[in-house]
Amino acid sequence: MNSVAADDLRNSYISRIGGRPLSGFTKPLARLIDQFERLPGIGPRTAQRLALHLLNQPEEQIHQFADALLAARTQVGQCQTCFHLSADPECEICRNPERRNGVICVVADSRDLLALERTREFQGRYHVLGGLISPMDGVGPELLHVTELVQRITNEEISEVILALTPSVEGDTTSLYLGRLLKPFCSVSRIAYGLPMGSELEYADEVTLSRALEGRRPV
Amino acid sequence: MIGPNGIGKSNLLEAVELLGSLRSHRCSNDRDLIQWDTPQALIRAEVGDGDRLELELRRQGGRQARRNGKLLDRQLDLIGPLRCIGFSALDLDLVRGEPALRRQWLDRVVLQLEPVYADLMARLNRLLRQRSQLWRQRQISSAERHALLDAFDVQMALVSTRIHRRRQRALHRLEPIAQSWQTHLSGGTEALELHYKPGSRLDGEDAEEPWRLAIEEQLREQREEEERLGSCRVGPHRDEIALLLGGSPARRFGSAGQQRSLVLGLKLAELELVTQLCGEPPMLLLDDVLAELDPTRQQLLLEAVGESHQCLVSATHLEGFGGGWQQQAQILGARELRPDLQIG
Ligand SMILES: [Zn+2]
Repeated sequence: MNSVAADDLRNSYISRIGGRPLSGFTKPLARLIDQFERLPGIGPRTAQRLALHLLNQPEEQIHQFADALLAARTQVGQCQTCFHLSADPECEICRNPERRNGVICVVADSRDLLALERTREFQGRYHVLGGLISPMDGVGPELLHVTELVQRITNEEISEVILALTPSVEGDTTSLYLGRLLKPFCSVSRIAYGLPMGSELEYADEVTLSRALEGRRPV
Repeated sequence: MIGPNGIGKSNLLEAVELLGSLRSHRCSNDRDLIQWDTPQALIRAEVGDGDRLELELRRQGGRQARRNGKLLDRQLDLIGPLRCIGFSALDLDLVRGEPALRRQWLDRVVLQLEPVYADLMARLNRLLRQRSQLWRQRQISSAERHALLDAFDVQMALVSTRIHRRRQRALHRLEPIAQSWQTHLSGGTEALELHYKPGSRLDGEDAEEPWRLAIEEQLREQREEEERLGSCRVGPHRDEIALLLGGSPARRFGSAGQQRSLVLGLKLAELELVTQLCGEPPMLLLDDVLAELDPTRQQLLLEAVGESHQCLVSATHLEGFGGGWQQQAQILGARELRPDLQIG
């Protein structure tokens, strides 16, 4: 059998186990695989590999893994100022006095904040909106942390807001909406994308993101 | 490919079309392309000098494209090595059917010329959906609604301008080619004109900035009407392509025979323009369409494309194909139509 045919056979086999879960797996193992498959970005093949890998680990290691999952879920909440993920009432970035420089960078969620942090280019503080405006999904400005952002701009003597939102329809709509809303209070710019139309902020590499931060433009 | 209905001829042609253009003329939802009891579908082909193309569709959404085993960042990068143009029974309504059919015909040409066009169209459709959903939200204040509509208008004006310009350019290039086919197919009696009637008033000089501003203004002006009627009244989704024969709309005044010839001419113009601009003849996919044409037009079509283009043809019977064609063709029956089929 040539390699293409073997591939096809394997794919069709995996398609089948993906469709009607997991005949041939003992129940507890099937349950574990099923849990992995619910995670974003994980298909049947990867789920199976992860589950089999865990089975081969020492029990001690598995306990640590399970503890870490539970601890993260129970202890991590949101920073009361910027809404970034934080185990404390206020996150490390908001507590750091050196980052109180009058500039706020607005992001959709904590993943985007972390992507920008990795560039080490940005010295100010953040504001996590908690999503993007999308009438299709029933998300209007009132469901995002917009009011809190306006309050921060007056309370914290903010001179500049940088909008770092994915350049999708929803991201651009949110940027344009916030731009008009905030302009009376401070200068507003958005990061310039060296990113192709429709690409996601989260996946951009650090070089592209740093360049985009430098090249920000007024809205 | 000869055989009764239901043995997978159209399936195979559709797979080639998807791999070449990332679209199916038959359905717009990937879920309908995947076998009902499986989570994904895989199309794999080796084309030209051994380029290996792969497209994976998933039931839960999202596609993955690979070229020579390498995962592509954007599925658009798959377009190029396998250019193809489809001609199916659905296309026979091109002249007398809804304007959407003529927009799709034009869009296919633009997409072959500029793959980035797919992004623009996807963005326009998303904006239109978001916009109509916004009107349905009741809990939102009027001021808030208008602030969000402003944000949509800015984006729609830009995207619309870019789509209008591309459609107009493509139609200008198609017109003379369609005219010469029209002369050839009809014996040269009536002059053909292709008129672009944009769904926005394109005021000012033909350039991006003035058109963008004009469209933004029209979007604002039509808001009251939009609220009343529930749909956006300005934009490329309202474009019409008027086909005139001897000065009258072919849609209403052309005879059935004239309309058929015109459809054929338009498809051949599409084929010729894409061939010119890409430097290479695209593959032609003829899905069960020959049987719908009378013998004369069948012969004209086969003569026009047979020499220069690789064609994949599906039919239920061999009758009607000229003898010369049969000798050059590889003929596959029901027994050969299997997943590991080799063509060419
Ligand atoms: Zn914080």
